[in-house]
Amino acid sequence: MKKRKIMAMALSCLMVLSAVGCGNDSQGGNASGSATNTNASAGGGTTSQGSTQAEGAEITLWTYPIGKWGDAATVDGLIASFNAAHPEIKVTVEYLDYSNGDDQINTAIEGNQAPDIVLEGPERLVANWGARGLMVDLADLWTDEAKGAIYASVESACKGNDGVYYEYPLCMTAHTMAINRDIFEAAGAMQYIDEASGTWTTDNFIKAVKAVYDSGQANVGAVYCNGQGGDQGTRALVNNLYGGTFTNAEHTEYTANSEENIKALELLLEMEGINYDASIVGGDEINMFCNGTLAMAFCWNVSQEKNNLDKISFDVLPMAFPSTGDPKLCGGIWGFGIFNNGDEAKIAAAKTFIDFMANDEKQAVESVKASSYWPVKDLGNIYEGDDLMTEYSKFVPYMGDYYQVVGGWAEARTAWWNMLQQIGAGTDVKTAVEEFVTTSNAAAKAQ
Amino acid sequence: MAASKKNPMSKALVRRETIAGYAFMLPSLVFFLGFVIYPMVQCIITSFFDATMNREDIFIGFANYAELFQDTVFLGALRNTAVIVIVSVPVVCIFSLWVSSVIYDLKGAACSAFRCIFYLPVVTGSVAVTVVWKWMFNNYYGIFNYVGTSTGLLDKNINWLGDEKYALGCIILILLTTSVGQPIVLYVSALNNVDQSLVEAAEVDGATKIQCFWRIKWPQIMPTTLYILVITTINSFQCFALIQLLTSGGPNHSTDTIMYYIYYNAFKLYRYGYGNAMGVVLAIIIAVLSAVQFKLAKKD
Repeated sequence: MKKRKIMAMALSCLMVLSAVGCGNDSQGGNASGSATNTNASAGGGTTSQGSTQAEGAEITLWTYPIGKWGDAATVDGLIASFNAAHPEIKVTVEYLDYSNGDDQINTAIEGNQAPDIVLEGPERLVANWGARGLMVDLADLWTDEAKGAIYASVESACKGNDGVYYEYPLCMTAHTMAINRDIFEAAGAMQYIDEASGTWTTDNFIKAVKAVYDSGQANVGAVYCNGQGGDQGTRALVNNLYGGTFTNAEHTEYTANSEENIKALELLLEMEGINYDASIVGGDEINMFCNGTLAMAFCWNVSQEKNNLDKISFDVLPMAFPSTGDPKLCGGIWGFGIFNNGDEAKIAAAKTFIDFMANDEKQAVESVKASSYWPVKDLGNIYEGDDLMTEYSKFVPYMGDYYQVVGGWAEARTAWWNMLQQIGAGTDVKTAVEEFVTTSNAAAKAQ
Repeated sequence: MAASKKNPMSKALVRRETIAGYAFMLPSLVFFLGFVIYPMVQCIITSFFDATMNREDIFIGFANYAELFQDTVFLGALRNTAVIVIVSVPVVCIFSLWVSSVIYDLKGAACSAFRCIFYLPVVTGSVAVTVVWKWMFNNYYGIFNYVGTSTGLLDKNINWLGDEKYALGCIILILLTTSVGQPIVLYVSALNNVDQSLVEAAEVDGATKIQCFWRIKWPQIMPTTLYILVITTINSFQCFALIQLLTSGGPNHSTDTIMYYIYYNAFKLYRYGYGNAMGVVLAIIIAVLSAVQFKLAKKD
């Protein structure tokens, strides 16, 4: 009986200890961290650095795979440079992917364990978490000097509708499409392409696809719509063909039901060689382009070419989307946002980190280079001697409106690929597009 | 009670043993309360609120439930889920019973080999299984299209996962391969435990193999059948990973299931209250169906 008593007592102690352990953990998730955190005040999240000390802080950076920012070896090098300048701040990095990165962050937010810094674009930092009041105002990083240096279109994308800066940008790119030059050449379709500028008209696009299809390439391109992955490609394709828009200029209303967009969607439906494919997403399309199954990819940018060099056995020709005027490419802007975890010391440390990564004269170049994209301000020709980057840099001036900060974005993205699936399955284009716009505008109003 | 009056020491003994018993239960109880009961209660409570990220919850009574039954996507998901359950539960049970009855009396190594083969998809991760199936169903170079067009069974490639007509069927097929492993192992074990003296006696009395199965073996493996029915029903209702990894509910909502729609509302649209209301409805449906299965099995 004594043994049982001892056992029962031991189990009770175990439970108490585990409960205490849980309690400690729930107070911020850094209970096991260094004592350097003890100076952190648990204030209510003011937005300026003020007199708060970043010294001795331990911060977390969660990064989406933006070029080599998803590669541990590269990021370790960047952090080492930061620590050489700021040894008092310890940075822990977690790597996310686009499949479940949002879920990881949302779960962390709900569990009061959100990271201090996240590296992503305005559609998440500004339109989503910023609009929900989860992010810190970065106004003090947006000095007059910064505003003067950073491109105006980028600056406006980093601000919420409330005028608050939720993102400090690092790099940008213009998403392109690409063609398999070998197949196009064999089909005699290169005559329809302005190779020097990487552009083509809608009429020439139609002729080129026909030529490639007639040459025996049954699958020329795919309007992929299994999910939201890479959906910027299908949006840009539809919007460019006849000059349609996705939202109004104020980013308050979805305008995808315009005549131009309907005409474009109908054209794609009629074209032989172009399939509305509800079984693949952008990533699958890229793989199929790289292995030669498809002759063109709508989900493309310089990173795709760099990351897939070993898989590609043909000449890739990056192209702007076909249009009736100047192409307007979907842009990607990536930068840093800070979650308001209520710890002034950490916020100050996070701002120090961002300032170093994005503004330090030497470091900013390395930080941008790690992304494989282009700087959001003039840093000179950082890719001098790099033929691939030089080739793609001609598309940056074609960057169109950054409408991804429109309200109801998450619901609209889902509604978009659902709409493409409906059209592919035979639903009347106008009906499907109207349903998309109604759903998306309702979501925008509800937000 | 009479015993405790006669011997006062035994009452103390009983109390001590009771305390010890509860102490041993305590760790499991804490986890059960913390990770099962508390989330369940929280789920029910939240279903009456308009709950979203970083905002105070707003009490809205039964509005989430009222919205559910006007939501065509939810109703479609409910129908798809019902189709999955109606097709997969009987097929899994019948197929696993058939396989088990064929392999249970094989020699040790052969029986184990078959059990391993059928159990392999269960222990293999969902992602790995899905990647292989996705390749086989591929519209452009999948093996099904290759074999179909090569043998003349198909005129042209079929977009298995991208066509409303086939997508749900493909999901059910994959679900079957990942669901039959456990029932087969259970049935093999149950059939080996059937009292052989009864079977032999029946055979001596002139019973045929079919009569032996239905009159002797079937009643003895009934508890196993009931267990398999219940777990397969629950697993089919909770079909999620395949949908998320393969179709995201498409094409055109043809593979939406309640579990996937809960995930979509809760994690993509941050509608926690609405998602929880769906969860409550799903739990009620599963509970009712399980109760019916128990009742019918008892009658048998």
